[in-house]
Amino acid sequence: MEETITNKLYTNKKSMEIFQRGLKVLPAGIPGHLGPVQSQFIPTSAYPLYATRAKNSYFWDVDGNRYIDYMCAYGPNVLGYNNELVDNAAMEQFKNGNCMPLPGIAQVELAELLCDTITIADWSFFMKNGGDATGFAKMVAHAATGRDKVVMIEGGYHGVTPWTQSLTHAGITPADVENNLIIKWNDAAAFQRVVDENPGQIAAFISTPYDHRVFADNVLPSDGYWQKIRQICDDNGIVLIIDDVRCGFRLDTAGSAEYFGFKPDLACYCKALANGYNISAVVGRDSLKDAAAKVFYTGSYWSSAAPMAAAIACINELKRIDGAKVMIEKGKKLTSGLVEAAKDAGITLKISGIPSMFFMRITNDDSLMMQQEFCAECAKRGVFFVSHHNHFINCSLTDEDIRDTVEIAAEAFRITAQNNIDRLNR
Amino acid sequence: MPDSNVKARCNLFAVLRGIEYLVENDSDCKDLVAGVNLAIQFNVSGGPSGNLSFKDGRAEMKSGKHKSNIVLYFSSPEHFNKMIDGKANPIPLKGLHRLGFLSGPFMKLADKLNYYLRPEGELLFNPEYFRINTELTAYTAFFALAEIGNYDPLGMMSGSHIPDGILQIKVDDGIGIYLEVRNGKMNCVKGHHEDPRAILSFSSLESAHKLLNGQLDTFTGLGSGEMCMRGFIPMLDNMNPILDLVPQYLS
Ligand SMILES: Cc1ncc(COP(=O)(O)O)c(C=O)c1O
Repeated sequence: MEETITNKLYTNKKSMEIFQRGLKVLPAGIPGHLGPVQSQFIPTSAYPLYATRAKNSYFWDVDGNRYIDYMCAYGPNVLGYNNELVDNAAMEQFKNGNCMPLPGIAQVELAELLCDTITIADWSFFMKNGGDATGFAKMVAHAATGRDKVVMIEGGYHGVTPWTQSLTHAGITPADVENNLIIKWNDAAAFQRVVDENPGQIAAFISTPYDHRVFADNVLPSDGYWQKIRQICDDNGIVLIIDDVRCGFRLDTAGSAEYFGFKPDLACYCKALANGYNISAVVGRDSLKDAAAKVFYTGSYWSSAAPMAAAIACINELKRIDGAKVMIEKGKKLTSGLVEAAKDAGITLKISGIPSMFFMRITNDDSLMMQQEFCAECAKRGVFFVSHHNHFINCSLTDEDIRDTVEIAAEAFRITAQNNIDRLNR
Repeated sequence: MPDSNVKARCNLFAVLRGIEYLVENDSDCKDLVAGVNLAIQFNVSGGPSGNLSFKDGRAEMKSGKHKSNIVLYFSSPEHFNKMIDGKANPIPLKGLHRLGFLSGPFMKLADKLNYYLRPEGELLFNPEYFRINTELTAYTAFFALAEIGNYDPLGMMSGSHIPDGILQIKVDDGIGIYLEVRNGKMNCVKGHHEDPRAILSFSSLESAHKLLNGQLDTFTGLGSGEMCMRGFIPMLDNMNPILDLVPQYLS
């Protein structure tokens, strides 16, 4: 790359100017999870707000600053931004036809590929967003069991449709969430309890493969946890849904359930499926194919061919290079460098989760203020981290990127330590 | 639907508590209580009890039953809320010879509360009025927030998700209020805490005024730099839905 790290601190003048325009005509200025409030850009002025282009592990903002990116668009960037294999496959299909009155052949080809790739997949169903996938999986479970209730994990995220949200959120009514039964992560006994308390009423258990919630250390399943959950589901006719929207293809190409040694009935995919092209999927076992066919679920763009062509190219490439393994290795290398750099500055950095999706937290301070300062100092120097969410590794990340990141992080840790001597001495 | 008991708590511990602030900040109010040394006990049947005392030119609102010279009884939370709206009278049980204070200075203090909390005409153009209106509204809103978070069913649901710690709200170079949160229960305190776990700050009193009066939403405020948040954001994320309930209770 032409750019290297510099000592000049980034400024975000143009970003802020555009944002002022956005605030007038868009609720929250930048709606959704990319907005500065949801993204925890603290302070907002330290962060870029609009991107102009992206390639491999970098994006450039409207002020011309280049960032080494560890959010990967919250997951979709898995092979590297603008990966040529994927883009060419998509472009080819775009030229031939994308949104048509019939699906393209790619629909069948992609379904075949997923069935060949993901252990539990006997069939696939395509949609656009992760939330479409989790919603469909839930409907299939209701259709298959004729039951109303769903067990979910406290702090879990399955999208934004009302049933996935908390009653305390704006716009959610009691009826939206009345069939949700919430238990804590890693607590199979609690699952058994709610099953006993709601005999014959629970359609599904839905959870991410491990607890990758925001604002807290991420937690892997304890030994035997998933096997117990599987057993309770089997004993009680409950559909086991894995929400692999975030983890999918970053733990194991054959499915994150495979990584943890169990077999769900349905699995939801989205982010890493097509390297940024808009497609999501639910895959399932044969026993639920009938119910999946009965559920009426579709959308204007769900059968578009280009994202399917992109997904085929993306998955084939991930399989060829063993993408999950590559990203886990790179994640290990990066995080061990970060931990060392923090230590040199007298700061304790805790890494949790799977390295390809690591969560990091400065443990010297339970207010996250040091963490926020650290991330802001990194942003001003061209490394894009956030303070609240797990990060993402992509396959194109190079050793030089890792080296540059650790160097910038070391400086950011030093500055953070200097500004927080009282906290470090506590 | 606002719960009348929670509303009574807000009226007592947030609205009437405003008298503490007024006797410090408004010279007329200061004069009204100069040399006054007495305590009024408010007892609401099926609702809260609180004690408002005056001593050495200061006022203090405490929850529960304490020493008093005047005891006012209300047959229900609705009865108390009607009194606050000026549509009902209390039943005095004790201190009949001190009722002059109630019909005189106390009524004037109550009128002043109304004067500052419900701006009319061009009053807000007066900087001193603007300051008192905004600061008093802020104190009232956050003391009410604590009551709602502790007693309203939806408020309690959000409250139960607020992580333990100190949540500081402040105006840069200005007033501060903080919530002490433990096990989902919260206590509101005036001032600045030395070690907050999360901070919501306003760049100016004007920004605080706009937020409190529905002229600025949090997202715009945070984006424009008029507001700033830092620290353990789940505290703020779970406080915000309670703040949204405040207008229902302080109408
Ligand atoms: C685990 C999980 N499930 C579901 C979703 C929702 O996906 P989408 O935002 O594409 O609807 C997400 C998105 O972050 C996710 O991480």
